[in-house]
Amino acid sequence: MTWGHLVHIAYGIPLTLALTGGAFFVGAVLGFPIMLLRESSFMPLKVAMIAIIAFIRALPPILWVFLLYFGIGTGLINLSPFVAAVAAFGIIAAVNMAEIYRGGMVSISAGQWEAAHALNLSRLSIWRDVMAPQMVRVALPPSATYVIGLMKDSAIASTIGVAELAYRGKQVSQMSFEGLLPFTVVGACYIALSLPVAWLSRTAERKLRAKVAR
Amino acid sequence: MAYDLDVARMKALSPSPLGAPSASGSPAPEPSRPVIKLDHLSKSFGTFQALQDINLSVLQGDVLAIIGPSGSGKSTLLRCINWLEPANSGRITVGDLSLDCSKPVGKEQITTLRRQLGMVFQSFNLFPHMTVLRNVSLAQERTLGRSRREADEVSMGLLERVGLADKAHQYPVRCSGGQQQRIAIARALALDPKVMLFDEPTSALDPELGLEVLAVMRELASSGMTMIVVTHEMGFAENVSEHTMIMADGQILEYGPSREVIRNPQTERARRFLRAVNDR
Repeated sequence: MTWGHLVHIAYGIPLTLALTGGAFFVGAVLGFPIMLLRESSFMPLKVAMIAIIAFIRALPPILWVFLLYFGIGTGLINLSPFVAAVAAFGIIAAVNMAEIYRGGMVSISAGQWEAAHALNLSRLSIWRDVMAPQMVRVALPPSATYVIGLMKDSAIASTIGVAELAYRGKQVSQMSFEGLLPFTVVGACYIALSLPVAWLSRTAERKLRAKVAR
Repeated sequence: MAYDLDVARMKALSPSPLGAPSASGSPAPEPSRPVIKLDHLSKSFGTFQALQDINLSVLQGDVLAIIGPSGSGKSTLLRCINWLEPANSGRITVGDLSLDCSKPVGKEQITTLRRQLGMVFQSFNLFPHMTVLRNVSLAQERTLGRSRREADEVSMGLLERVGLADKAHQYPVRCSGGQQQRIAIARALALDPKVMLFDEPTSALDPELGLEVLAVMRELASSGMTMIVVTHEMGFAENVSEHTMIMADGQILEYGPSREVIRNPQTERARRFLRAVNDR
């Protein structure tokens, strides 16, 4: 393995990050309305959402990647491997984030809603001023754990040819006829990428908690 | 006794001895007119009849204590008045607004209703992620359209009034239960309500902390605020509130001047309840 090989692997880092970030962004944004529908007081809608969430979570991620890339991406509309992978992971992230948000919402006592209503706050204000800031505090640690898991799962995108870390690791191992070293380097990259996420989450959590905890 | 005189004297002095720093002090309507009127109000949860045909008038400046055993419907009554719990039938009249509970009621009407009512909860329900000042200011900005500066000015005045101006920039968890409840009172007062509703405001507090909350409520009563107080504090009911109402099983057992109702109840059920309270 040469320096050139190392650089070749390193070029996978931005793609792994883009894949993870893109999918998490899709999930974090879509997760919120999904959570609201899941918590709807209209029973048929609620039941349908529970079923859809369970279904999406039940299938292995690689299947969603194949479904979107080979199923939709090559048949119906033209999707690049990268877009198909972001979409697949984004869908999975959305239902998982919905559940994380729900955990955050359930943790807020009914008294907070009642106080907000008694103070005549509008629906928008209740969400923006009262609920969301409290939900974020509860949802932050599991979200960070989820991002790290998502980054590791993003290696699956290599199966449809997205040239991220795992994909390039495999290329280098084939070029250099070495197995151990290239994949060790890839592994080290994943660890190095997760550390700042974990650190950021802990720091943010500590800062937010310090204000509201005894 | 001496304490009663105190309240009477404070009332005679001025309508607001400490002066609520409100921008729009609501002009007192003629004293004979009820601020709150309930006609045939009923509420059930499934098959459980929580309130049965409640009729009640509360006059301007009146302080009404509602006492009674748990599950008698006291809290439900308060929660129906500000629509946290929609009643099934009957009529709620607050000021100029009259709502028929058996018909669908629009959002604006509920807003108009709640605008006139301040609510204080047993468990305070302050927003834990906001400073004390922000807790008091938020709804003023969002619902009354006050600027941040105006709202904060009003808030500081009210925090001063409840004796907690020094806590303005703390978070609620740094305050004792009694302090949190006084902040909750300031938060409700900040919206210039016509009537203050208290749902067992001291029940979650130890006796000493309860006292500081009761002191604030006493001051509020003597400033002429119309108040409905669900409580187990017999001292407050007897000494501060003009009227006391005893409820059981979703109905009004007794209603009248506090001393008469508490010292000389007419019904056996009320006597039993008061005996249990006094035996403690």
